[in-house]
Amino acid sequence: MGGLPYSPEELRARLDRAFNPRAVAVVGDKRANGYLWLNSMRTFQGPVYSVQIDPQEAAAIAAMGFANYASLRELPGPVDYVVCAVPRQVAPRIVADCAETGATAVALFTSGFAETEQEEGVRLQREIGDIARRSGLLLIGPNCMGIYSPAAGVRHSAEQEVYDDGRVAFISQSGTHCINFSLVGYLHGVRCSKTVSVGNCELLDIPDYLDYFLHDPATEVIAMYVEGPRDGRRFFQVLQEAARRKPVVVWKGGVTEPGARAVYSHTASLATAPQVWRAAMRQAGAIEADSLEETIDVVKALLYARPTTGRRMGLIAMTGGQSVVITDAFAREGLEVPRLSQRSYDRLASFFNIIGGSYRNPLDAGGTVAMGFAVDNVRRLLEVLDDDQNVDAIAFEVGTGFLVRRIRQDPALAESLADALARFRDGSAKALVTVVHPGHAEDVSAQIRARFVERGLPVFATFQQAARALRKAIDYWRFRQELE
Amino acid sequence: MSIADVIERARAQGRRVLTEVESKQVLAEAGIPVVPARLATTAQEAAAAARELGFPVVLKVVSPDIVHKTDVGGVRLGLASAEEVAQAFQDIVDSARRHVPQARIEGVSVQPQARPGVEVILGMSKDPQFGPVLMFGLGGILVEVLKDVSFRIVPIAPRDAREMVREIKAFPVLEGYRGQPPADLEALERMLLRLSDFAQAHPEVEELDLNPVFAYPDGAVAVDARVLLG
Repeated sequence: MGGLPYSPEELRARLDRAFNPRAVAVVGDKRANGYLWLNSMRTFQGPVYSVQIDPQEAAAIAAMGFANYASLRELPGPVDYVVCAVPRQVAPRIVADCAETGATAVALFTSGFAETEQEEGVRLQREIGDIARRSGLLLIGPNCMGIYSPAAGVRHSAEQEVYDDGRVAFISQSGTHCINFSLVGYLHGVRCSKTVSVGNCELLDIPDYLDYFLHDPATEVIAMYVEGPRDGRRFFQVLQEAARRKPVVVWKGGVTEPGARAVYSHTASLATAPQVWRAAMRQAGAIEADSLEETIDVVKALLYARPTTGRRMGLIAMTGGQSVVITDAFAREGLEVPRLSQRSYDRLASFFNIIGGSYRNPLDAGGTVAMGFAVDNVRRLLEVLDDDQNVDAIAFEVGTGFLVRRIRQDPALAESLADALARFRDGSAKALVTVVHPGHAEDVSAQIRARFVERGLPVFATFQQAARALRKAIDYWRFRQELE
Repeated sequence: MSIADVIERARAQGRRVLTEVESKQVLAEAGIPVVPARLATTAQEAAAAARELGFPVVLKVVSPDIVHKTDVGGVRLGLASAEEVAQAFQDIVDSARRHVPQARIEGVSVQPQARPGVEVILGMSKDPQFGPVLMFGLGGILVEVLKDVSFRIVPIAPRDAREMVREIKAFPVLEGYRGQPPADLEALERMLLRLSDFAQAHPEVEELDLNPVFAYPDGAVAVDARVLLG
């Protein structure tokens, strides 16, 4: 662990080269993997070299249109990022080739190392680590999926999108969670600047990546899935430094005792008492999340709701029942649901339909909005809350049930609703979150969500999710405010 | 004796546990308020120490082999005269010998009886990932049964000390309830910060218990303490 001959600046520069490579090589991709790696690299604009000695595989790879070579030493030019998918016995030789040909970084998809807790695996991991340490080669993993760098077109799944406006970095001790974060996140408007699946962290450890993303101008928010960092104190120190400058969302795996046992057999990480972990996160100023969904939710709130330190909510729901439970959901998170100002009540009284509705806060807008789905009244309600000094943030329930038939008949309604909310968001200084329940018509809710996501609106599937994500974002902005 | 001297002597004797007298010496040196304890090896020394410290005093057995002093009849409270102190010395030594015949008994500690306050616990232990971790809680059942404690990683900042004291569920007890005066929260925060400094400066200390600490409206003091070396 550790021991690279680089200053922090040099390490960052080298990582940046690995995330923005000039050329890429894939060693040992094969049919049994569905040529996962070469297919994933099809979006890379620079040269992609294949290294494969099996004649049948080599022929198939050539037929796919990739230049194949027998060794990394035979490549026509230097590569900055190598993915290595060879069996573990061969791994030391490939890593040595990477070192000798001056590759910047290698990610070892190969598994069967320290995570097996067997002598052979531990020895081999040490061996490849030593080769990398001696030569200054950046070793990612082993037992990992390596890098996803959408702007560079470097992927670790052929399902992933490429784009150049990602703002969220993700670090993961699980390849699955790393890929899912990018795929599910994309659906919710969370675009990645860069992600990395870190595996066993023989050489590069979580704090190295964290430090790089902290200094990466494209990255505004950092999230991670962690089971146990190799060097906990360094992790804590870098986390503390990072969270003071960018929001860091930490999803910890293995917080229960049976979960901690599962962690041990996954990444062999030592168990910290859940209470101590929680305290460490709070002390560092990190934001905790308990699942992929919550991680994405919190990131959405951080990216797409205006930063606020106020806890007073203005709530809009579409029925009496929903206005009760939306209030419970936000109050349960410790947020306030105050009475509005008299001026607001006077304004509401001028157009609010109190038959099938009420407007104390929460606003039950059934009669005013939902019954005819009057988008213009959505705007008027939001404006009243925006002008009210008692309100810091607004939650809006879309009332999917009222929209199913209407949107199936007239999809443009989803557009005009999204436009109204986006226009309001653009002109308001207050945080706005929206809730679109999947309900009984997931196709319609998906349609509405897609229109909202296109406009950068934070949309949540339940009141609880919206409330929790917003509360965590508020806690974070308060933490930042206290630092100043 | 300096902190290093005390630790070195314990090490030379093959001990990992510092006695109460040693632990308090070390902590006092680190700027943590403790009820001073003197080691007496005879009844006469005990009586003399009590006269110097002022009555009433508390006597406790000092032995590296006895952890739970009360269980072996090793603690006597509220001793108001030299005669009572001399008698208590003999009783404690006899009782400890009877309960743990092989125990090395260094003597008895003599200390002023602290005026009662709200009992809190401060501690330090080592986490396998984060290293030294501080702990804070209210004394007795709240810590042991309800695990109502707060933690922070060493080193802590003033903000962390403030949060540690305030985030336990029993915090209202410290704020003063039913007309009780509030405890001196700043004194507790100061103690936590000094403990953090101490733990950082002495990585050889593996574990540390200040239990109980009495919190008063004006200050706080460690009544008992135990330092364990790594």
